[in-house]
Amino acid sequence: MSDVAALQQERNELFRAVHNSKIPKRVPISISIPFEAVAQFGGLDLVQAQWQPEIVAEAADRLCELIFSDTCPFFGSMRFPSFYQILDSQSFVMGSNGFIQHPEVTGMLPEDYDYLIEKPYDCLLERVIPRQYKALDLKDPVKMALTLTKSYLAYREDMGAAAPIIGMLTEKYGYSTIGGSFGGFTSAPFDFLADQLRGFKGISMDIRRMPEKVAAACEALYPIVFKQGLPANPSIYAPVMFPLHMPTFMREKDFARLWWPTFKRLVDEYASLGVRTQIFCEDDWTRYLDYLYELPTNTVMIFEYGDLRQIKDKLGKKHIITGLYPMTMLARESKEKCLDKAKEIIDVLAPGGKYIFQFDKQPLNAQDINIENYRAVVEYVRDNAVYSNPGEVHGLEFNPADYKAEPRRSFESKYFTVWEEFKARNPAVSEHGKEKLQNLEEILFQYLMYLLI
Amino acid sequence: MLDTDLLTKAVGDLDEDSVIKQLQEFAATNPSPEEAQKAVAACQSGMGIVGELFEQGEYFVGDLIFAGELLTNAVEILKPYLGGATSEKIGTIVLGTVAGDLHDIGKNIFKSMAEAAGFEVHDLGIDQPPGNFVEKVKEVKPEIVGMSGVLTLALESMKLTVDALRDAGLRDSIKVIIGGNPVTKEACEQIGADAFTTNAAEGVKICQGWVK
Repeated sequence: MSDVAALQQERNELFRAVHNSKIPKRVPISISIPFEAVAQFGGLDLVQAQWQPEIVAEAADRLCELIFSDTCPFFGSMRFPSFYQILDSQSFVMGSNGFIQHPEVTGMLPEDYDYLIEKPYDCLLERVIPRQYKALDLKDPVKMALTLTKSYLAYREDMGAAAPIIGMLTEKYGYSTIGGSFGGFTSAPFDFLADQLRGFKGISMDIRRMPEKVAAACEALYPIVFKQGLPANPSIYAPVMFPLHMPTFMREKDFARLWWPTFKRLVDEYASLGVRTQIFCEDDWTRYLDYLYELPTNTVMIFEYGDLRQIKDKLGKKHIITGLYPMTMLARESKEKCLDKAKEIIDVLAPGGKYIFQFDKQPLNAQDINIENYRAVVEYVRDNAVYSNPGEVHGLEFNPADYKAEPRRSFESKYFTVWEEFKARNPAVSEHGKEKLQNLEEILFQYLMYLLI
Repeated sequence: MLDTDLLTKAVGDLDEDSVIKQLQEFAATNPSPEEAQKAVAACQSGMGIVGELFEQGEYFVGDLIFAGELLTNAVEILKPYLGGATSEKIGTIVLGTVAGDLHDIGKNIFKSMAEAAGFEVHDLGIDQPPGNFVEKVKEVKPEIVGMSGVLTLALESMKLTVDALRDAGLRDSIKVIIGGNPVTKEACEQIGADAFTTNAAEGVKICQGWVK
């Protein structure tokens, strides 16, 4: 076995151990640097790079050379401008500095609630997506069909351009193929309703004006976000990622009755299928730690802010903790201070395992990256966060049999054709077409939902 | 007759139904501009309570957004009766989200709370280059410039905006406050702002302190 292959295997073992409630040899390190920062680091024109993703390969390679990580620091981008601009997106817009952002926009009006609750997927396709994507003009159907097709082709092309770079770097540097990989990506039902449908302002009104409809809408969206995140081939090493958004902006009372119930049931249902969950707890979740404890065992929790000791004491035996190192320190503080912080964090979070080192958030641009401090911190963690008892089982273990799915609505819509329906209309179709046709249906579902996440 | 204490309390409780009912009944009495002005002041005091409850951790950002909307609707009901009466303006703020940043939720919360506190606010909008701040400051001669941003890269734009105000000879005649997720004491010093906050209610208090 080559050195690189051996290194990759060793790194995979680190993550396997953590995901199986075992103590790894050392704390695994997962660094992510977003596309924009990589392009800037390479001195590339940001807008050009986002239109020609393949040109960042060299810069990504140089960054990998400089910064140690057990997972590939380059992960492409979720937001290339091609498909958003073709669709005239209102919800993902490039700022004057070339960064694509999500401004506060409303995709669904209060009077749409009843239709959303009755036929959620139809409502998303007929009302929400055309509002958020102005080029999808329902009054100009031929143009609309062409535009949607063009945007999908652009999406496929750009995502396809970034993927080989990740593959090349993973092989070259022996990155883990387990750590950092997701089985799926979706939203909590309430966050989906808030972020892309009603907007921050709209949902804040609705919580007080029509809480029953908000609750019913979350129920209606459940099967959609569930389907969106569900991995085709579940693996306990590939959790489904949820960036959690609204809870810290809400009163606990509203959180407990409107936000939490559908999310909790959803991740329990995933757990019953052997699918694990990874959550990014944006902001400070201190007042919700007791709720988080209740999530399925070994949920990976990325924290932004909070008290290290309190988080470790409350959650450390059941869940996998990560994040919490303030990324902004790297650009502003001395190397000594950055190392002191690293020591402070691993002293609290590493004992007993169930811990992965990463920063509290990703750097947004190249100015956020002080390479020297970055290197110093991750190398300190690599060399010092070492365990004397690898292989020992620690804390609770994840067992899908501990969870069960509650009864819920199923996913159905006239815009999602199931095989039986297709066959009834096309009796001559071969049974061999089943997988292909359902797969195409699935691809379209995933793309349309991608536009809303 | 309007019970201003009751109105203030209803706004503080974010009890929309009660606020609207009280104001509609009040409007039905065809109040004088002075009376209507008192009702506006009572609502503004209610917003003060909302700000305090936010700082105490009873209310959260979603509640502040709701409060801003509630106040707008309340003033809408009272507008036809205000006539020429205007509340005393305690100061002027030029406000905007800095270049490169498209986020405006925090800015809008600050705006509605600052207006409730008696400031005249000129909101430039999002993704505003330094030149637009400079032009507006020249035009309305505010006491305060408020800059907002959510992305860490907004900090650089804030610095460029302060530099532009300085180059235009305007910096010494104004106070500058920066707000948003990435602002810190260190960032505030680097940018050359006078104050920073991640809390809209606190930001309004700082501004009130400047115009006393």
